[in-house]
Amino acid sequence: MADLSINLAGIKSPNPFWLASAPPTNSGYQVQRAFEAGWGGAVWKTLGEPIINTSSRFAAISFNGQRVAGFNNIELITDRPLEVNLKEIYETKKRFPNHAIIASLMVEPQQEKWHEIVKKVEDVGVDGLELNFGCPHGMAERGMGAASGQVPALVEKQTYWVKEMAQTPVIVKLTPNITDITATAEAAVQGGADAISMINTINSLAGVDIHSWNTIPHVAGKGAHGGYCGPAVKPIALHMVGECARNPRINIPISGIGGVSNWENAIEFMLMGATGVQVCTAAMHHGFRIVEDMIEGLNNYLDEKGIASVNDLVGKAVHKYSDWGDLDLNYKVVARINNDVCINCNKCHIACEDTSHQCIDMLKDGEGNPILRVREEDCVGCNLCSIVCPVDGAIDMVELPNEFPPMTWNERQAAIGALACAVDTVK
Amino acid sequence: MSDYQQYLQERDRIDYLYQKGYKITNIKEDLEGAQIEFQRAEEDKETLHILTAEGRKYFSVRVIQQN
Repeated sequence: MADLSINLAGIKSPNPFWLASAPPTNSGYQVQRAFEAGWGGAVWKTLGEPIINTSSRFAAISFNGQRVAGFNNIELITDRPLEVNLKEIYETKKRFPNHAIIASLMVEPQQEKWHEIVKKVEDVGVDGLELNFGCPHGMAERGMGAASGQVPALVEKQTYWVKEMAQTPVIVKLTPNITDITATAEAAVQGGADAISMINTINSLAGVDIHSWNTIPHVAGKGAHGGYCGPAVKPIALHMVGECARNPRINIPISGIGGVSNWENAIEFMLMGATGVQVCTAAMHHGFRIVEDMIEGLNNYLDEKGIASVNDLVGKAVHKYSDWGDLDLNYKVVARINNDVCINCNKCHIACEDTSHQCIDMLKDGEGNPILRVREEDCVGCNLCSIVCPVDGAIDMVELPNEFPPMTWNERQAAIGALACAVDTVK
Repeated sequence: MSDYQQYLQERDRIDYLYQKGYKITNIKEDLEGAQIEFQRAEEDKETLHILTAEGRKYFSVRVIQQN
């Protein structure tokens, strides 16, 4: 059995699977139930001045039979008094001393307010703090959450205030509702953060009911933007984790969040630089016991790869995530259709003919049977045919031997630039 | 004519000039593709208009090799 334990900026947990700050971590009952199921840590639902929630809060996007492909909520932070939460945190930590409990915090951007809440939550024995600078709805309209998380100077200053008081590691949770998340990540580093977590939810409106014309969800016929999460946001989250992981000025651990639904997703995030992951939507969809499959799957993967510790995965794919200008323009793949597997649905032909490069021909074989064949010289290797193909193994994307040496766009531009310089010199 | 056939023609024209001793001296890229200026001696100049993406890749490889 591989070692699944992690240490994120000094916060230890028996495995890398934490519940994210959200409805599943609203109470001691829930967090203890999660730890019994096997979760390694939990970020307690955000503490702050207790709010009042609306009725009707969630909405989900189903796509072609896949329920909860995306999830939207307009729920706010805790609606329970701080003392109630603190009592339950204390009891939970006492019962599960080896599991990580991180308190998510959100107060107005004032030094004394941060100092006050940090002292109170640390007194009950949390293992770390997570500053919620990401919640996009409701709290942002009051100057908190994403409203302060979108301003690097406010991220830096509030992180600094927390670090003035904090005795435990401080994680800064970042909003994706910003053009360049590395700007706020760097601000967190400047403020003294011990780690960053990303992503919080994305501004969203789940839908409009085409019969009632109400928003989805609606509250008495009115709606407001919410936060989007779930499997649909995973590519966005993974990109943001990768961007931070490869930035040399962001040299602190990352807790990855955003659509993690299974052990494979967790490995992806860890390979792209996350020390551990946080999960919400998948637990809301399937219950806490999904962590059993996550632990088993991760352990089997590590054993099969001969990797002793899950920590050996962290960041291993970061060097492969680069800029477009550094990609090899002379690398070439083409599609090859395996006609013994192909069911002749012609989706690849239609996709290529209508929306790509018109290089899949509909032909007949020697016995008059319909077959599909790629004209490889005209194929640009876009992958579209293999993406739309409904049959596994019917289309392979095949690497062609390099006809020319590797050449990136940046190298090309430098060579052409040097040419111009040479001409100038001669003149 | 397919893009590939057009590219083969462009590559042949570039190769032909190199075989004749020309080298690329200047490249102007604009909305119409690339104008490639070749020179062999002071007075021997040729220009090729390269249209295809593969052709633009090809002359770039030749420029890197030439440098």
